[in-house]
Amino acid sequence: METLERTDTSGEPDDPIVEAGQPVTRDAQWYLKVVVAVAIAVGMLYWAAVEEKIRSTLITVVITVAASAGLWIAANFLFDQVRNRWATFNAIAFGLLGAVLGVLLHGNKLTLGSGSGFFTWVIGPLVGAVVLGGLGYVMTRTQDPNQRLTIATGTGLAAGIVIAVTIREQFQPGLDVVAIVVYTAILAAVGAGLSILLKHSPVGGAMIGAAIGWILGAWGGADLGDGSLVESLVATVVPAVLLGARFGMTTDPDYTERVNIDTRSRAVIFVGPAILFIFVMLVVPAIRTGYLSLLDRDSEEFVDGENYGSVFTDRNSLDVDNWTDMFTSVPFLIGVVLLGLAVVVGAAMKKRTGRAVEIGNPTVGPLVVGLLLVSFGAFTAMRGTLINNLWWVVVVTFFSTALGLAIAVLADGRRGERVAKSIIFMPMAISLVGASIIWRFVYLARDTSTEQTGVMNALWVGLGRLSTGSGLPTLIVTVLLAICVVLALIFLSNALVKREYGRAVVPAILTVSLGWFFVRFVGIIGDGVGGFKIDDDGTVSGQTIFFVQEVPYANFWLMVIMIWIQTGFSMVILSSAIKAVPTELIEAAKIDGATESQAFWRVILPQIATTIGVIVTTLIVGVMKVFDIVKVTTNGQFGTQVLANNMFDEAFNRVNIGKGAALAMLIFFSVLPVMIFNIRKMQQEG
Amino acid sequence: MSITAPLVNDASPGGQPGDEPSGIIDRVYGFLRGIPTGILWFIVVIWSIPTLGLFVNSFRNRDGQRGSGWWNVSPSELTFDNYDQIFGARSGLLRSLLNSAAIAIPATIIPIAIAAFAAYGFAWIDFKGRKGLFIATVSLLAIPLQVALIPLLQMFVGGAKYTVPLLDKTITIVPDFDLAGTTTAVWLTHTGFAMPFAIFLLHNYISSLPKDLFEAARIDGANHFTIFWRLVLPLSIPVLAAFAIFQFLWTWNDYLIANTMIGANASQQPTTILIANLAGDFGRNEHVLPAAGFVQAFVPLVVFFALQRYFVRGILAGSVKG
Amino acid sequence: MTKRWLKLAAVPIALAFVAAACGSDDESGGGDTTPASEAPAATDAPDDGGDAGGGGDFDGATVTITGPERDDPSIASLNDVLGEFGEANNINIEYTGDADWEANINTQVQGGNPPNISYFPQPGKLADFARAGNLKPVTDQVNETLDEFWLDGFQLYGNVDGTQYGVPAKTDLKSLVWYQPAAFAAAGYEVPTTFAEFTALIDTMAAADGPKPLCVGIESGQATGWTYTDWVEEMVLRLHGPEVYDGWVDNSIPFDDERIQEAMQAPVDLWTEDNVFAAAGSIAATSFADNGQPLVDGQCYMHRQANFFAGLFPEGTTFADPADDSAVDVFYFPDINGDKPVLTAGIFAAAFDEDPATMAVMNYIATAEYAEKRQAAQTEAVGGGLSGYLSAAIGQDPSVYQPLEQSFLSILESAEIARFDGSDLMPADVGAGTFWSEGTSLVNGDIDVSEAASRIQASWPG
Repeated sequence: METLERTDTSGEPDDPIVEAGQPVTRDAQWYLKVVVAVAIAVGMLYWAAVEEKIRSTLITVVITVAASAGLWIAANFLFDQVRNRWATFNAIAFGLLGAVLGVLLHGNKLTLGSGSGFFTWVIGPLVGAVVLGGLGYVMTRTQDPNQRLTIATGTGLAAGIVIAVTIREQFQPGLDVVAIVVYTAILAAVGAGLSILLKHSPVGGAMIGAAIGWILGAWGGADLGDGSLVESLVATVVPAVLLGARFGMTTDPDYTERVNIDTRSRAVIFVGPAILFIFVMLVVPAIRTGYLSLLDRDSEEFVDGENYGSVFTDRNSLDVDNWTDMFTSVPFLIGVVLLGLAVVVGAAMKKRTGRAVEIGNPTVGPLVVGLLLVSFGAFTAMRGTLINNLWWVVVVTFFSTALGLAIAVLADGRRGERVAKSIIFMPMAISLVGASIIWRFVYLARDTSTEQTGVMNALWVGLGRLSTGSGLPTLIVTVLLAICVVLALIFLSNALVKREYGRAVVPAILTVSLGWFFVRFVGIIGDGVGGFKIDDDGTVSGQTIFFVQEVPYANFWLMVIMIWIQTGFSMVILSSAIKAVPTELIEAAKIDGATESQAFWRVILPQIATTIGVIVTTLIVGVMKVFDIVKVTTNGQFGTQVLANNMFDEAFNRVNIGKGAALAMLIFFSVLPVMIFNIRKMQQEG
Repeated sequence: MSITAPLVNDASPGGQPGDEPSGIIDRVYGFLRGIPTGILWFIVVIWSIPTLGLFVNSFRNRDGQRGSGWWNVSPSELTFDNYDQIFGARSGLLRSLLNSAAIAIPATIIPIAIAAFAAYGFAWIDFKGRKGLFIATVSLLAIPLQVALIPLLQMFVGGAKYTVPLLDKTITIVPDFDLAGTTTAVWLTHTGFAMPFAIFLLHNYISSLPKDLFEAARIDGANHFTIFWRLVLPLSIPVLAAFAIFQFLWTWNDYLIANTMIGANASQQPTTILIANLAGDFGRNEHVLPAAGFVQAFVPLVVFFALQRYFVRGILAGSVKG
Repeated sequence: MTKRWLKLAAVPIALAFVAAACGSDDESGGGDTTPASEAPAATDAPDDGGDAGGGGDFDGATVTITGPERDDPSIASLNDVLGEFGEANNINIEYTGDADWEANINTQVQGGNPPNISYFPQPGKLADFARAGNLKPVTDQVNETLDEFWLDGFQLYGNVDGTQYGVPAKTDLKSLVWYQPAAFAAAGYEVPTTFAEFTALIDTMAAADGPKPLCVGIESGQATGWTYTDWVEEMVLRLHGPEVYDGWVDNSIPFDDERIQEAMQAPVDLWTEDNVFAAAGSIAATSFADNGQPLVDGQCYMHRQANFFAGLFPEGTTFADPADDSAVDVFYFPDINGDKPVLTAGIFAAAFDEDPATMAVMNYIATAEYAEKRQAAQTEAVGGGLSGYLSAAIGQDPSVYQPLEQSFLSILESAEIARFDGSDLMPADVGAGTFWSEGTSLVNGDIDVSEAASRIQASWPG
């Protein structure tokens, strides 16, 4: 199926609209899907009819979505008029403004005549719409500055008087002169300042600011109902005239300006809704959190930076007393050896190609793995929440990206691609409750006198039994292992003889690791491998690993869960990126004599570099915020605490709001540089 | 592991046509070339083992699950009891599945629409402060969502009010729509939280569409709305599908937000909360969780399979910048 | 063209919706969203007196209740009992058992969306909410009901600074050791009556080549370590008496005090590899719920755990049945100084508002009728046997309890020194935080007792 579609489109890359717009072929499958979709829809509707609660939910959703979509599309159509039908646009835009004003006044029952439905929702807004819409239309037909000023100010005056007269008696404001003066002055200054910042004349801004200030001061500062008609007039007419005059001072925009207006308003239409959501849902809470992080646990008194300070002084969040332990840790030592190897290979490569490190050359392998192991060793030597978070970021980000990429590449275009990808993706579909249960079945340990029900311990104890045993299975495994080691050696020597060092990397790693395993398995060094222990009297018994209880390695076993889940994420995105790489580029490289793997390193990888950047960034951010895996498995015990879980604990369980907020801000600040670096880099490229 | 061997043999001959093996060394290399496929299926098998264990255990009773490893399962002990129990009359699983849908569907569609507008705006509409605003927007991805939960809950419970300084008048910024404890509150929250990532992902893609495409359309007199609707949306289907899948999964499987927003309102609970409560005090009923986990995972898997076909090579051939 | 104008028409309609929503908000005047606020005024509340089950009419007011209990039998019995009461009084009572109650109740209160009533297993948390003004004191009528059905000692932990907020809804007895009488008899062991006999018995059992003396496992998901804190509480009570215990609970005697450290070390000393069977190989990895199976299977002799552990034995286990060799029984966890202290725990209901319907439900929970009916319903829900529920309310029909459960009740009633679970009384930072986690680290051998004690003490708020 995929190959079919591939040939479909590869021919005509220059006409994507037509391609994408073409209807899907309507085969049996398509009809089946339609039937299923209709069945689901009918089922939902039936349910909605039966269950009152579902119905109300459904109605809410439909109304919200339809209203928002209508609003958005309508806005777009409205601004379509800007360039060529300026008068129409103005009439409608101002008309709408007037209608809104009418709705606001009438809807809130501020004015006479409101309250009865027809007048409230139809006549009031209609009057507003006609008055302001008329103004907008007339202004586009008037070019003389003096006339414009007169018309606009006059309309403002008239509108102000009409509103003041129709305000109900119980809302007439008893004016507070101080409030009016203060607000008018402040907002006029703000308006003028903004205008100067935007390189306009300050007068216009000051007038708008003063009008808003006057409204706020006159209506907000007043005791409603204490006033008279005169006060109402003062409160209304002044800002209305100010606004009208400000509008009258403008000149009718020419075509270029209209294009500008179009662009700017389009920006608002397109970006606005997202910004609105982000502002309400994220910015406001974030600011509030930042503020709370400076207060004490009950948000009553300022404690300066104490909440932040305590994170760094607490032994539970940072404990580097035994950092020297890393020099004796096995991963660290292996990592150092690999880094040494990388230096040697790098020197050789520099001689041959002029570049020591290059994507795809043999230096990269040992370098990356070496760095990974060294950091791993360092992390095992230190303790604390902050260390754990760093450890998580390094390990999970690396493995999820690498494995996701590997699977996306390996599966691309191969038979069974869908099956393979679906299985890798499966963990993403399983909720965390499910995942925690799944991994309990994996990590579980039982008393060694009983059967192991956890996969890993069953394997581990079984391996120990095999390694220390002497029966037929042990013999067979030994022979198989020996054959593998010899095979790996043959490939290694073959590659070395042919001087194809790039091809020697994998066999070399295989030889060393398999060889080491073989040596340990048959007991040349040590007593064997696996979960066993030998008592003083020589009896051999099983020995389990407490995966999630053993400090500090429990961290790693929790990371494995995250890798298991997240690899599906990187795979899906990388896979779609790889499929977006034009086939012609790869074909061209192959015609130039590139091998499959060279084509990957030289053509595909550079093409998807941006996507990898996206994945890495997303993963770093996601991992810094890791919370649920830790919560459902250990809840931070056994040295597995991480920042986000600690934060949840402090804020939600212990109700130490200040500390929780400080931890949240810490997560935010530590991810921020990564985000900004990444975005800047992307924008430079783009 | 024995499964991998035949698959390797199966795949390797088809892999490299035109490269006929001759001689022992070449034949060995022919085998070596099959290794990548072998590795793939090896990883796949490893990946599926935990889930397989869950699947098998979902058909075993409590004693079976506790007493022996799932790989020791005997056909005679398989039972549908766990499934019976979670679909049982009192558990309300069907209603909770519907609640989950009422959360996940709007929480998927709405953010995609809004984020696609914004991504297009940031990528192709030239306005002042575009870069700064974009960076600010996407940086908010770094905020742990837990910080926003309580303020949002307060907003859903009582609306948002602001008291103007000096005047002592309270303005209602967001009226109280009585959303506390409803699925609407949950998907609204999801929509907000999804925004930075959605914009990040979609912008990355939409901004890499070729410039000439837009210029050509511009010359034809198309405005932003037309370009967005006729050009950008169809071209972005793969990335929209990718995001839709993830967003659907996250919202379907979300526990924290639903738990906070719905709270004690049992009639609006999605499956995640219901299942967590099914486990019982001290995990006494944990044996039903494997079955529940599968019921829960079924819907997202269907969504994945339905949308997977959109990730096909060619839809945007030549459209990624090189 | 016409199509466009049609679409434009959508704008004012949408705006009208928004405005309508704003407008209607003004009319309702302030966002009081408590569903029960439309309930009839207080004067309409029927006066049930002692017999709270009698019919009143609350006009279908809704009372939401949350709590940590979410077991099938618990939920079934609660729904039965509350549903019956609700029906009789025209109150719509909804109980939600919440897997994440500890965190959720905080969120709901801070977010301004608490349930009407919540069941609190931790009096410490109840007191926090009461002092912050979130909880409402019970009405005089409920107080009268409480005095009628509950001894002062049980009311005490629902009382904050002299005001009664909580109503006891469930009582747990913790100082129990589960064992199989037949296994004891077969090996010739006697039930120990003093702590010295208890440790001597452990030594004897460990020396013999049979089952291990104790089953211990402290893993409990997110609450891992609470079983250890129970042991520490028992040891503080037994080693140093109730005054030290009370001082320790309010932190006037700190955790790093030598006496407390002694009590913290005592269980660790007892839990040697020779003495303990841990089903998962290590104490910290073994789920506390997994201690019933090995006891029945004969892999260990004894397990110290509260009365509700009855529900965690394998299905089909019989209790205190002399005819059955596999039957399980309990003995009192022996004391050291002969003062027979008892460690208890329990659940309290507390209300977040004062609506008549809410208080009527609170009043009902305080009665013996509630306890009796819940016990009967729960026994039925578990299919006979021990229900796992227990209530010390006075005036219940004893026949709803099995003989073994009646003996729990008599231990509770006759106890001279009874103390509530200390970790539930401490601030959550400690009692549901570091005491669990550092305790687990201590048991796991990651840190020593002085380190654990100083870390816990450092986390005490204020």
